[in-house]
Amino acid sequence: MDIGAKIPVKADGLTASGKDRTFNRQTLYDYLDGGAEVYLAFDFREVFTRKYTGPGGREMTLDIYDMGSPGEAFGAFSCDRQDPSAGIGQESEYGPGLLRFWQGRYFVTVTASADDEAAAAAVLGLGKDVVKQLGPPGPKPALVSCLPAESLRPERTSFFHSVVNLNNRFFVAGENLLRLDRSTDCVIGEYGAGGAEPVTLLVVRYPDASGALAARRSFLASYLPDAGPDGFARTENRKWVSAGVRAEYLTIVFDAPSADAARKLGASVNFPAK
Amino acid sequence: MKHPLTRRDFLAGTTVAVLGASLGFGQEKPATKKARVVLIRHRDVLDENQKINPDILQGMLDEGVMKLLGESDPVKAFQKLVKPGETVGIKTNVWSYLPTPPELEAALKRRVIDAGVAPDRIGLDDHTVMTNPLFVKATSLINVAPLRTHYLAGVCGCIKNYIMFAESQPAYHPDSCADLGSLFKLPQVQGKTRLNVLCVLTPQFHGRGPHNFNRRYVWSYKGLIVGLDPVAVDAIGLRLIMAKRREVLGKAQELPPVPKHIQLADTRHGIGTSDMNAIELIKLGWGEDILV
Repeated sequence: MDIGAKIPVKADGLTASGKDRTFNRQTLYDYLDGGAEVYLAFDFREVFTRKYTGPGGREMTLDIYDMGSPGEAFGAFSCDRQDPSAGIGQESEYGPGLLRFWQGRYFVTVTASADDEAAAAAVLGLGKDVVKQLGPPGPKPALVSCLPAESLRPERTSFFHSVVNLNNRFFVAGENLLRLDRSTDCVIGEYGAGGAEPVTLLVVRYPDASGALAARRSFLASYLPDAGPDGFARTENRKWVSAGVRAEYLTIVFDAPSADAARKLGASVNFPAK
Repeated sequence: MKHPLTRRDFLAGTTVAVLGASLGFGQEKPATKKARVVLIRHRDVLDENQKINPDILQGMLDEGVMKLLGESDPVKAFQKLVKPGETVGIKTNVWSYLPTPPELEAALKRRVIDAGVAPDRIGLDDHTVMTNPLFVKATSLINVAPLRTHYLAGVCGCIKNYIMFAESQPAYHPDSCADLGSLFKLPQVQGKTRLNVLCVLTPQFHGRGPHNFNRRYVWSYKGLIVGLDPVAVDAIGLRLIMAKRREVLGKAQELPPVPKHIQLADTRHGIGTSDMNAIELIKLGWGEDILV
Protein backbone atom coordinates (compact mmCIF):
# COMPACT_ATOMS: atom_id res chain seq x y z
CA MET A 1 0.00 0.00 0.00
CA ASP A 2 1.81 3.10 -1.22
CA ILE A 3 -0.10 5.52 0.90
CA GLY A 4 2.36 6.47 3.63
CA ALA A 5 3.94 9.24 1.58
CA LYS A 6 0.57 10.91 1.10
CA ILE A 7 -0.44 10.97 4.75
CA PRO A 8 0.70 13.93 6.88
CA VAL A 9 3.48 13.22 9.35
CA LYS A 10 2.19 15.89 11.71
CA ALA A 11 -1.25 16.08 13.25
CA ASP A 12 -2.22 18.71 15.82
CA GLY A 13 1.07 18.69 17.68
CA LEU A 14 1.68 14.97 17.21
CA THR A 15 4.42 13.68 14.93
CA ALA A 16 4.82 10.35 13.17
CA SER A 17 7.25 8.18 15.13
CA GLY A 18 8.91 4.91 14.35
CA LYS A 19 8.66 3.16 11.03
CA ASP A 20 5.42 2.82 9.14
CA ARG A 21 4.41 -0.81 9.03
CA THR A 22 2.28 -2.95 6.73
CA PHE A 23 0.73 -6.32 7.57
CA ASN A 24 -0.96 -8.74 5.18
CA ARG A 25 -3.18 -11.79 5.69
CA GLN A 26 -0.22 -13.88 6.75
CA THR A 27 1.24 -11.37 9.19
CA LEU A 28 -1.82 -9.66 10.62
CA TYR A 29 -1.60 -11.82 13.74
CA ASP A 30 1.73 -10.17 14.49
CA TYR A 31 -0.13 -6.89 14.77
CA LEU A 32 -3.55 -7.72 16.16
CA ASP A 33 -3.33 -11.21 17.66
CA GLY A 34 -6.93 -12.32 18.25
CA GLY A 35 -8.40 -9.20 16.69
CA ALA A 36 -6.98 -10.35 13.39
CA GLU A 37 -9.75 -12.91 12.99
CA VAL A 38 -12.32 -10.16 12.76
CA TYR A 39 -10.63 -8.80 9.63
CA LEU A 40 -9.49 -12.12 8.19
CA ALA A 41 -13.13 -13.14 8.14
CA PHE A 42 -13.47 -10.51 5.39
CA ASP A 43 -11.49 -10.21 2.17
CA PHE A 44 -8.81 -8.25 4.01
CA ARG A 45 -5.66 -7.62 1.95
CA GLU A 46 -3.33 -5.50 4.08
CA VAL A 47 -3.17 -2.78 6.69
CA PHE A 48 -0.93 0.28 6.77
CA THR A 49 -0.23 1.52 10.28
CA ARG A 50 1.54 4.55 11.64
CA LYS A 51 2.03 5.79 15.19
CA TYR A 52 2.08 9.45 16.18
CA THR A 53 3.49 10.71 19.43
CA GLY A 54 3.55 14.05 21.16
CA PRO A 55 4.27 15.89 24.40
CA GLY A 56 3.26 14.26 27.66
CA GLY A 57 3.25 10.75 26.23
CA ARG A 58 0.31 11.41 23.96
CA GLU A 59 -0.10 8.75 21.30
CA MET A 60 -2.28 8.21 18.27
CA THR A 61 -2.42 5.22 15.94
CA LEU A 62 -3.62 5.29 12.34
CA ASP A 63 -4.69 2.01 10.71
CA ILE A 64 -5.77 1.93 7.06
CA TYR A 65 -7.21 -1.46 6.08
CA ASP A 66 -7.39 -2.40 2.42
CA MET A 67 -10.41 -4.67 2.51
CA GLY A 68 -10.32 -5.62 -1.15
CA SER A 69 -13.63 -4.02 -2.14
CA PRO A 70 -16.03 -1.34 -0.93
CA GLY A 71 -18.49 -3.97 0.21
CA GLU A 72 -15.94 -5.58 2.49
CA ALA A 73 -14.81 -2.19 3.80
CA PHE A 74 -18.42 -1.38 4.67
CA GLY A 75 -18.64 -4.77 6.37
CA ALA A 76 -15.63 -4.16 8.58
CA PHE A 77 -16.99 -0.77 9.53
CA SER A 78 -20.57 -1.87 10.03
CA CYS A 79 -20.06 -4.65 12.56
CA ASP A 80 -19.13 -2.42 15.45
CA ARG A 81 -20.99 0.89 15.35
CA GLN A 82 -22.26 2.75 18.35
CA ASP A 83 -21.01 6.34 18.27
CA PRO A 84 -22.30 9.43 16.43
CA SER A 85 -21.19 10.20 12.90
CA ALA A 86 -18.06 12.29 12.43
CA GLY A 87 -18.94 13.22 8.85
CA ILE A 88 -15.76 11.66 7.47
CA GLY A 89 -15.72 9.28 4.51
CA GLN A 90 -18.77 7.38 3.34
CA GLU A 91 -19.83 6.60 6.88
CA SER A 92 -18.07 7.25 10.15
CA GLU A 93 -18.38 7.36 13.87
CA TYR A 94 -16.42 9.10 16.58
CA GLY A 95 -16.41 8.49 20.30
CA PRO A 96 -13.75 9.46 22.83
CA GLY A 97 -10.44 8.04 21.68
CA LEU A 98 -11.71 6.26 18.57
CA LEU A 99 -12.57 7.35 15.00
CA ARG A 100 -13.79 4.74 12.51
CA PHE A 101 -14.81 5.29 8.90
CA TRP A 102 -14.85 3.68 5.47
CA GLN A 103 -14.19 5.09 2.05
CA GLY A 104 -14.06 3.02 -1.13
CA ARG A 105 -12.22 -0.22 -0.40
CA TYR A 106 -10.63 1.15 2.77
CA PHE A 107 -11.68 0.87 6.38
CA VAL A 108 -9.83 3.27 8.68
CA THR A 109 -9.44 3.64 12.42
CA VAL A 110 -7.64 6.34 14.37
CA THR A 111 -7.18 5.63 18.07
CA ALA A 112 -5.81 8.02 20.68
CA SER A 113 -4.39 7.31 24.10
CA ALA A 114 -6.19 10.34 25.50
CA ASP A 115 -9.83 11.28 25.15
CA ASP A 116 -9.73 15.04 25.71
CA GLU A 117 -10.43 17.89 23.26
CA ALA A 118 -6.87 18.00 21.98
CA ALA A 119 -6.96 14.30 21.21
CA ALA A 120 -10.30 14.67 19.46
CA ALA A 121 -8.93 17.49 17.30
CA ALA A 122 -5.89 15.44 16.35
CA VAL A 123 -7.89 12.30 15.61
CA LEU A 124 -10.56 14.04 13.54
CA GLY A 125 -8.01 16.22 11.75
CA LEU A 126 -5.97 13.21 10.73
CA GLY A 127 -9.09 11.40 9.59
CA LYS A 128 -10.05 14.28 7.33
CA ASP A 129 -6.56 14.34 5.82
CA VAL A 130 -6.50 10.59 5.26
CA VAL A 131 -9.87 10.31 3.57
CA LYS A 132 -8.68 12.62 0.79
CA GLN A 133 -6.11 10.00 -0.21
CA LEU A 134 -8.44 7.03 -0.39
CA GLY A 135 -10.06 7.57 -3.77
CA PRO A 136 -13.71 7.67 -4.72
CA PRO A 137 -16.56 6.15 -2.76
CA GLY A 138 -17.85 2.68 -3.57
CA PRO A 139 -21.08 0.76 -3.23
CA LYS A 140 -22.28 -1.18 -0.22
CA PRO A 141 -22.88 -4.90 -0.75
CA ALA A 142 -25.98 -5.53 -2.82
CA LEU A 143 -27.31 -7.83 -0.10
CA VAL A 144 -27.77 -4.83 2.20
CA SER A 145 -30.56 -3.57 -0.02
CA CYS A 146 -32.59 -6.70 0.66
CA LEU A 147 -33.47 -5.33 4.08
CA PRO A 148 -36.96 -3.79 4.05
CA ALA A 149 -36.64 -0.04 4.45
CA GLU A 150 -39.67 0.61 6.65
CA SER A 151 -38.63 1.25 10.27
CA LEU A 152 -35.05 0.13 9.56
CA ARG A 153 -32.38 1.73 11.74
CA PRO A 154 -29.75 2.31 9.03
CA GLU A 155 -26.94 2.96 11.48
CA ARG A 156 -27.45 -0.51 12.94
CA THR A 157 -27.16 -2.40 9.65
CA SER A 158 -24.18 -4.75 9.44
CA PHE A 159 -22.67 -6.93 6.73
CA PHE A 160 -20.29 -9.82 7.42
CA HIS A 161 -19.52 -13.44 6.64
CA SER A 162 -18.53 -15.40 9.70
CA VAL A 163 -19.75 -16.40 13.13
CA VAL A 164 -17.08 -14.35 14.92
CA ASN A 165 -18.61 -11.20 13.45
CA LEU A 166 -22.17 -12.36 14.11
CA ASN A 167 -21.50 -13.06 17.75
CA ASN A 168 -19.71 -9.78 18.29
CA ARG A 169 -22.64 -7.99 16.68
CA PHE A 170 -25.59 -10.07 17.87
CA PHE A 171 -24.92 -13.08 20.03
CA VAL A 172 -26.91 -16.08 18.81
CA ALA A 173 -25.10 -19.13 20.16
CA GLY A 174 -21.78 -20.37 21.43
CA GLU A 175 -21.62 -22.77 18.50
CA ASN A 176 -21.75 -22.01 14.79
CA LEU A 177 -25.39 -23.10 14.41
CA LEU A 178 -25.84 -21.22 11.15
CA ARG A 179 -22.76 -22.78 9.55
CA LEU A 180 -21.27 -19.45 8.60
CA ASP A 181 -17.89 -19.12 6.93
CA ARG A 182 -16.20 -16.96 4.32
CA SER A 183 -18.50 -18.35 1.64
CA THR A 184 -21.62 -16.97 3.32
CA ASP A 185 -22.84 -13.38 3.12
CA CYS A 186 -24.85 -12.03 6.04
CA VAL A 187 -26.74 -8.84 6.60
CA ILE A 188 -28.40 -7.92 9.85
CA GLY A 189 -30.76 -5.04 10.48
CA GLU A 190 -32.71 -3.65 13.40
CA TYR A 191 -36.26 -2.38 13.20
CA GLY A 192 -38.39 -0.14 15.35
CA ALA A 193 -38.30 3.25 16.96
CA GLY A 194 -35.17 4.26 18.83
CA GLY A 195 -35.21 3.37 22.50
CA ALA A 196 -37.56 0.45 22.06
CA GLU A 197 -36.34 -3.14 21.96
CA PRO A 198 -35.61 -3.67 18.28
CA VAL A 199 -36.80 -6.45 16.06
CA THR A 200 -33.74 -7.98 14.41
CA LEU A 201 -33.68 -9.39 10.91
CA LEU A 202 -30.81 -11.62 9.76
CA VAL A 203 -30.49 -12.68 6.13
CA VAL A 204 -27.80 -15.17 5.15
CA ARG A 205 -26.92 -16.10 1.59
CA TYR A 206 -25.35 -19.54 1.22
CA PRO A 207 -23.52 -20.82 -1.85
CA ASP A 208 -26.56 -22.94 -2.66
CA ALA A 209 -30.04 -23.82 -1.44
CA SER A 210 -28.92 -27.00 0.28
CA GLY A 211 -26.62 -24.94 2.49
CA ALA A 212 -29.51 -22.70 3.52
CA LEU A 213 -31.74 -25.68 4.29
CA ALA A 214 -29.05 -27.41 6.35
CA ALA A 215 -28.43 -24.23 8.32
CA ARG A 216 -32.14 -23.81 9.03
CA ARG A 217 -32.34 -27.39 10.29
CA SER A 218 -29.33 -26.81 12.52
CA PHE A 219 -30.77 -23.56 13.86
CA LEU A 220 -34.20 -25.03 14.56
CA ALA A 221 -32.75 -28.09 16.27
CA SER A 222 -30.52 -26.17 18.67
CA TYR A 223 -32.06 -22.73 19.00
CA LEU A 224 -35.73 -23.22 18.25
CA PRO A 225 -36.62 -26.84 19.04
CA ASP A 226 -40.09 -25.72 20.09
CA ALA A 227 -40.88 -24.36 16.62
CA GLY A 228 -43.45 -26.03 14.44
CA PRO A 229 -42.88 -26.99 10.82
CA ASP A 230 -43.37 -23.34 9.86
CA GLY A 231 -40.26 -22.38 11.89
CA PHE A 232 -42.01 -20.04 14.34
CA ALA A 233 -41.75 -20.06 18.12
CA ARG A 234 -42.36 -17.72 21.02
CA THR A 235 -39.23 -17.33 23.12
CA GLU A 236 -38.58 -16.57 26.75
CA ASN A 237 -38.96 -12.80 26.34
CA ARG A 238 -42.46 -13.34 24.97
CA LYS A 239 -41.26 -12.30 21.54
CA TRP A 240 -41.33 -14.37 18.37
CA VAL A 241 -38.55 -15.89 16.33
CA SER A 242 -38.97 -17.28 12.85
CA ALA A 243 -36.64 -19.02 10.44
CA GLY A 244 -37.43 -19.48 6.75
CA VAL A 245 -35.60 -20.42 3.59
CA ARG A 246 -36.03 -19.18 0.07
CA ALA A 247 -33.61 -20.64 -2.45
CA GLU A 248 -30.11 -20.02 -1.08
CA TYR A 249 -31.32 -17.46 1.48
CA LEU A 250 -32.02 -18.12 5.14
CA THR A 251 -34.08 -15.44 6.86
CA ILE A 252 -34.36 -15.26 10.63
CA VAL A 253 -36.44 -12.75 12.54
CA PHE A 254 -35.62 -12.29 16.22
CA ASP A 255 -37.75 -10.62 18.86
CA ALA A 256 -40.84 -9.78 16.82
CA PRO A 257 -43.82 -8.69 18.96
CA SER A 258 -46.09 -11.27 17.32
CA ALA A 259 -45.95 -14.23 14.98
CA ASP A 260 -47.70 -12.10 12.41
CA ALA A 261 -45.09 -9.35 12.72
CA ALA A 262 -42.33 -11.92 12.29
CA ARG A 263 -44.07 -13.35 9.26
CA LYS A 264 -44.61 -9.91 7.76
CA LEU A 265 -41.02 -8.78 8.22
CA GLY A 266 -39.64 -12.05 6.86
CA ALA A 267 -41.90 -11.77 3.84
CA SER A 268 -40.75 -8.21 3.18
CA VAL A 269 -37.18 -9.16 2.39
CA ASN A 270 -36.23 -7.94 -1.07
CA PHE A 271 -34.29 -10.95 -2.31
CA PRO A 272 -31.87 -9.95 -5.06
CA ALA A 273 -32.83 -11.06 -8.53
CA LYS A 274 -30.76 -13.92 -9.89
CA MET B 1 -29.11 -32.72 28.45
CA LYS B 2 -26.32 -30.68 26.94
CA HIS B 3 -27.10 -27.85 24.59
CA PRO B 4 -25.01 -24.97 23.36
CA LEU B 5 -25.33 -21.65 25.11
CA THR B 6 -27.69 -19.50 23.09
CA ARG B 7 -29.27 -16.10 23.19
CA ARG B 8 -32.38 -17.73 24.62
CA ASP B 9 -30.52 -18.59 27.80
CA PHE B 10 -30.02 -14.87 28.36
CA LEU B 11 -33.66 -14.18 27.67
CA ALA B 12 -34.67 -16.84 30.15
CA GLY B 13 -32.19 -15.66 32.74
CA THR B 14 -30.70 -19.14 32.76
CA THR B 15 -27.29 -18.17 31.51
CA VAL B 16 -25.69 -19.12 34.76
CA ALA B 17 -27.41 -22.48 34.79
CA VAL B 18 -26.46 -23.20 31.23
CA LEU B 19 -22.93 -22.11 31.89
CA GLY B 20 -22.78 -25.08 34.20
CA ALA B 21 -23.65 -23.38 37.46
CA SER B 22 -21.78 -20.50 36.04
CA LEU B 23 -19.44 -21.61 33.34
CA GLY B 24 -19.78 -25.22 32.50
CA PHE B 25 -21.66 -24.70 29.25
CA GLY B 26 -23.76 -27.71 30.08
CA GLN B 27 -21.25 -29.70 32.03
CA GLU B 28 -22.70 -32.26 34.38
CA LYS B 29 -20.27 -33.46 36.98
CA PRO B 30 -20.33 -33.65 40.74
CA ALA B 31 -18.41 -31.09 42.72
CA THR B 32 -15.35 -32.51 44.44
CA LYS B 33 -12.80 -30.57 46.48
CA LYS B 34 -13.42 -26.88 46.12
CA ALA B 35 -10.89 -24.62 44.46
CA ARG B 36 -10.28 -21.60 46.65
CA VAL B 37 -10.19 -18.20 44.97
CA VAL B 38 -9.64 -14.96 46.84
CA LEU B 39 -10.95 -11.63 45.61
CA ILE B 40 -9.41 -8.73 47.47
CA ARG B 41 -10.16 -5.05 46.91
CA HIS B 42 -9.01 -1.79 48.45
CA ARG B 43 -10.67 1.57 47.93
CA ASP B 44 -7.39 3.50 48.01
CA VAL B 45 -5.14 1.33 45.88
CA LEU B 46 -5.79 3.71 42.98
CA ASP B 47 -6.05 7.47 43.12
CA GLU B 48 -8.41 9.49 40.96
CA ASN B 49 -5.93 9.22 38.06
CA GLN B 50 -5.68 5.46 38.49
CA LYS B 51 -2.16 5.80 39.85
CA ILE B 52 -1.30 2.78 41.98
CA ASN B 53 -0.31 3.01 45.62
CA PRO B 54 2.39 0.30 45.70
CA ASP B 55 2.28 -0.21 49.45
CA ILE B 56 -1.46 -0.84 49.45
CA LEU B 57 -1.07 -3.14 46.46
CA GLN B 58 1.63 -5.12 48.24
CA GLY B 59 -0.65 -5.43 51.23
CA MET B 60 -3.51 -6.65 49.03
CA LEU B 61 -1.32 -9.28 47.40
CA ASP B 62 -0.01 -10.41 50.77
CA GLU B 63 -3.43 -10.64 52.35
CA GLY B 64 -4.88 -12.44 49.36
CA VAL B 65 -2.14 -15.06 49.20
CA MET B 66 -2.17 -15.54 52.97
CA LYS B 67 -5.91 -16.20 52.91
CA LEU B 68 -5.53 -18.45 49.90
CA LEU B 69 -2.99 -20.63 51.68
CA GLY B 70 -4.19 -20.31 55.25
CA GLU B 71 -1.07 -18.53 56.48
CA SER B 72 -0.74 -15.51 58.73
CA ASP B 73 2.57 -14.31 57.34
CA PRO B 74 3.12 -13.36 53.70
CA VAL B 75 6.64 -14.74 53.50
CA LYS B 76 5.54 -18.07 54.93
CA ALA B 77 2.69 -18.08 52.46
CA PHE B 78 5.05 -17.57 49.53
CA GLN B 79 7.39 -20.20 50.96
CA LYS B 80 4.56 -22.64 50.38
CA LEU B 81 4.71 -21.72 46.71
CA VAL B 82 8.42 -21.48 45.91
CA LYS B 83 11.59 -22.76 47.56
CA PRO B 84 15.16 -21.52 47.86
CA GLY B 85 17.26 -22.85 45.02
CA GLU B 86 14.44 -22.75 42.53
CA THR B 87 14.32 -20.82 39.28
CA VAL B 88 11.04 -18.92 39.07
CA GLY B 89 9.43 -17.36 36.02
CA ILE B 90 6.86 -14.63 36.57
CA LYS B 91 4.78 -14.70 33.41
CA THR B 92 3.51 -11.19 33.06
CA ASN B 93 1.58 -9.44 30.31
CA VAL B 94 2.89 -6.41 28.44
CA TRP B 95 -0.09 -5.57 26.22
CA SER B 96 0.59 -1.89 25.73
CA TYR B 97 -2.92 -0.64 26.42
CA LEU B 98 -3.44 -2.55 29.65
CA PRO B 99 -0.32 -4.31 30.89
CA THR B 100 0.25 -6.04 34.18
CA PRO B 101 1.22 -3.05 36.36
CA PRO B 102 4.93 -2.88 37.21
CA GLU B 103 3.93 -2.34 40.84
CA LEU B 104 2.25 -5.75 40.86
CA GLU B 105 5.22 -7.38 39.18
CA ALA B 106 7.46 -5.82 41.80
CA ALA B 107 5.24 -6.96 44.65
CA LEU B 108 5.34 -10.55 43.41
CA LYS B 109 9.07 -10.49 42.81
CA ARG B 110 9.68 -9.08 46.27
CA ARG B 111 7.82 -11.93 47.93
CA VAL B 112 9.53 -14.56 45.77
CA ILE B 113 12.86 -13.14 46.92
CA ASP B 114 11.62 -13.04 50.52
CA ALA B 115 10.74 -16.71 50.17
CA GLY B 116 14.40 -17.44 49.51
CA VAL B 117 14.74 -17.48 45.74
CA ALA B 118 17.89 -15.74 44.48
CA PRO B 119 17.09 -12.52 42.58
CA ASP B 120 19.17 -13.65 39.62
CA ARG B 121 17.04 -16.75 39.33
CA ILE B 122 13.76 -14.91 38.93
CA GLY B 123 12.57 -14.21 35.40
CA LEU B 124 9.96 -11.63 34.48
CA ASP B 125 8.85 -11.88 30.89
CA ASP B 126 6.02 -12.09 28.42
CA HIS B 127 6.83 -12.29 24.70
CA THR B 128 10.15 -14.11 24.99
CA VAL B 129 9.37 -16.72 27.60
CA MET B 130 10.14 -19.54 25.19
CA THR B 131 13.75 -18.47 24.81
CA ASN B 132 14.37 -16.67 28.10
CA PRO B 133 16.84 -18.94 29.97
CA LEU B 134 15.14 -18.21 33.28
CA PHE B 135 11.86 -19.51 31.87
CA VAL B 136 13.47 -22.39 30.02
CA LYS B 137 15.04 -23.51 33.31
CA ALA B 138 12.14 -22.46 35.53
CA THR B 139 10.99 -24.98 38.08
CA SER B 140 8.09 -22.78 39.15
CA LEU B 141 5.91 -20.26 37.36
CA ILE B 142 3.79 -17.43 38.68
CA ASN B 143 1.07 -16.35 36.30
CA VAL B 144 -0.05 -12.71 36.46
CA ALA B 145 -2.29 -11.01 33.93
CA PRO B 146 -4.79 -8.18 33.70
CA LEU B 147 -8.42 -9.05 33.03
CA ARG B 148 -9.89 -7.81 29.78
CA THR B 149 -12.25 -8.79 27.02
CA HIS B 150 -10.97 -10.25 23.79
CA TYR B 151 -12.61 -10.37 20.37
CA LEU B 152 -12.03 -14.08 19.90
CA ALA B 153 -11.50 -15.68 23.27
CA GLY B 154 -14.12 -13.57 25.03
CA VAL B 155 -11.78 -12.75 27.87
CA CYS B 156 -8.05 -12.60 28.42
CA GLY B 157 -7.06 -13.81 31.83
CA CYS B 158 -4.70 -16.28 33.40
CA ILE B 159 -5.40 -19.10 30.94
CA LYS B 160 -4.82 -17.04 27.82
CA ASN B 161 -1.78 -15.40 29.39
CA TYR B 162 0.21 -18.57 28.61
CA ILE B 163 -0.26 -18.16 24.85
CA MET B 164 3.33 -16.97 24.64
CA PHE B 165 4.49 -20.49 25.48
CA ALA B 166 2.95 -21.72 22.22
CA GLU B 167 4.99 -22.44 19.11
CA SER B 168 2.13 -21.06 17.01
CA GLN B 169 -0.33 -18.63 18.53
CA PRO B 170 -2.81 -18.75 15.61
CA ALA B 171 -3.02 -22.51 16.13
CA TYR B 172 -4.97 -21.74 19.29
CA HIS B 173 -7.45 -19.38 17.60
CA PRO B 174 -10.00 -21.77 16.06
CA ASP B 175 -13.45 -22.04 17.61
CA SER B 176 -13.12 -18.99 19.84
CA CYS B 177 -9.72 -20.13 21.17
CA ALA B 178 -11.42 -23.22 22.57
CA ASP B 179 -8.25 -25.09 23.47
CA LEU B 180 -6.23 -22.50 25.34
CA GLY B 181 -6.33 -24.80 28.34
CA SER B 182 -3.95 -27.17 26.58
CA LEU B 183 -1.23 -24.52 26.98
CA PHE B 184 -0.88 -25.70 30.55
CA LYS B 185 0.18 -29.12 29.27
CA LEU B 186 3.11 -27.83 27.24
CA PRO B 187 6.42 -29.24 28.49
CA GLN B 188 7.72 -25.82 29.52
CA VAL B 189 4.64 -25.24 31.62
CA GLN B 190 3.07 -28.48 32.83
CA GLY B 191 2.94 -28.81 36.58
CA LYS B 192 4.91 -25.65 37.27
CA THR B 193 2.29 -22.98 37.94
CA ARG B 194 2.28 -22.14 41.65
CA LEU B 195 0.08 -19.05 41.72
CA ASN B 196 -2.34 -17.25 39.43
CA VAL B 197 -3.01 -13.56 39.92
CA LEU B 198 -5.68 -11.85 37.88
CA CYS B 199 -5.23 -8.11 38.06
CA VAL B 200 -8.63 -6.45 38.31
CA LEU B 201 -7.45 -3.03 39.37
CA THR B 202 -8.78 -1.60 36.10
CA PRO B 203 -10.44 -4.39 34.13
CA GLN B 204 -11.69 -3.83 30.61
CA PHE B 205 -15.25 -5.07 30.12
CA HIS B 206 -15.77 -4.36 26.43
CA GLY B 207 -13.57 -3.83 23.43
CA ARG B 208 -13.80 -1.85 20.24
CA GLY B 209 -11.46 -1.06 17.44
CA PRO B 210 -8.70 -3.19 15.98
CA HIS B 211 -6.75 -3.25 19.19
CA ASN B 212 -9.84 -4.00 21.24
CA PHE B 213 -9.15 -1.20 23.68
CA ASN B 214 -10.90 1.99 24.59
CA ARG B 215 -10.70 3.84 27.88
CA ARG B 216 -14.48 4.12 28.01
CA TYR B 217 -14.66 0.43 28.82
CA VAL B 218 -12.14 0.33 31.65
CA TRP B 219 -13.19 0.95 35.23
CA SER B 220 -11.52 1.24 38.61
CA TYR B 221 -12.51 -1.97 40.31
CA LYS B 222 -9.42 -1.90 42.54
CA GLY B 223 -9.03 -5.61 43.05
CA LEU B 224 -6.90 -8.71 42.67
CA ILE B 225 -8.16 -12.27 42.16
CA VAL B 226 -5.72 -14.92 43.32
CA GLY B 227 -5.83 -18.68 43.26
CA LEU B 228 -3.92 -21.86 42.64
CA ASP B 229 -6.33 -22.92 39.91
CA PRO B 230 -6.11 -20.76 36.76
CA VAL B 231 -9.51 -21.95 35.52
CA ALA B 232 -11.27 -21.07 38.76
CA VAL B 233 -9.55 -17.68 38.80
CA ASP B 234 -10.65 -16.95 35.24
CA ALA B 235 -14.14 -18.22 35.99
CA ILE B 236 -14.49 -15.56 38.67
CA GLY B 237 -12.98 -13.00 36.32
CA LEU B 238 -15.54 -13.84 33.68
CA ARG B 239 -18.36 -13.48 36.17
CA LEU B 240 -17.06 -10.02 36.97
CA ILE B 241 -16.88 -9.05 33.31
CA MET B 242 -20.38 -10.39 32.70
CA ALA B 243 -21.77 -8.47 35.66
CA LYS B 244 -20.21 -5.23 34.47
CA ARG B 245 -21.40 -5.77 30.92
CA ARG B 246 -24.92 -6.45 32.15
CA GLU B 247 -24.81 -3.23 34.17
CA VAL B 248 -23.45 -1.01 31.39
CA LEU B 249 -24.29 -2.67 28.08
CA GLY B 250 -27.46 -4.51 29.03
CA LYS B 251 -28.48 -8.09 29.46
CA ALA B 252 -28.25 -8.89 25.76
CA GLN B 253 -24.53 -8.16 25.78
CA GLU B 254 -23.80 -9.81 29.09
CA LEU B 255 -21.50 -12.43 27.61
CA PRO B 256 -18.42 -11.40 25.69
CA PRO B 257 -18.45 -13.78 22.75
CA VAL B 258 -17.62 -16.50 23.45
CA PRO B 259 -15.39 -17.50 26.41
CA LYS B 260 -15.76 -21.23 25.97
CA HIS B 261 -12.06 -21.83 26.59
CA ILE B 262 -12.57 -21.45 30.34
CA GLN B 263 -15.05 -24.29 30.56
CA LEU B 264 -13.08 -26.42 28.11
CA ALA B 265 -9.91 -25.91 30.14
CA ASP B 266 -11.86 -27.83 32.76
CA THR B 267 -13.92 -30.39 30.87
CA ARG B 268 -11.62 -31.07 27.94
CA HIS B 269 -8.16 -30.40 29.32
CA GLY B 270 -8.64 -31.02 33.02
CA ILE B 271 -6.38 -28.25 34.26
CA GLY B 272 -8.81 -26.80 36.78
CA THR B 273 -12.45 -26.22 37.59
CA SER B 274 -14.93 -23.86 35.98
CA ASP B 275 -17.87 -25.11 38.01
CA MET B 276 -18.99 -22.45 40.46
CA ASN B 277 -20.27 -25.18 42.76
CA ALA B 278 -16.69 -26.34 43.07
CA ILE B 279 -15.17 -22.90 43.65
CA GLU B 280 -14.88 -21.35 47.09
CA LEU B 281 -14.83 -17.60 46.51
CA ILE B 282 -13.53 -15.60 49.47
CA LYS B 283 -14.06 -11.85 49.31
CA LEU B 284 -11.83 -9.53 51.30
CA GLY B 285 -11.69 -5.77 51.70
CA TRP B 286 -13.72 -3.07 49.99
CA GLY B 287 -17.17 -4.31 49.10
CA GLU B 288 -18.78 -1.45 47.25
CA ASP B 289 -19.95 -2.33 43.73
CA ILE B 290 -18.28 -5.69 44.06
CA LEU B 291 -20.52 -7.21 41.35
CA VAL B 292 -19.64 -10.85 42.09
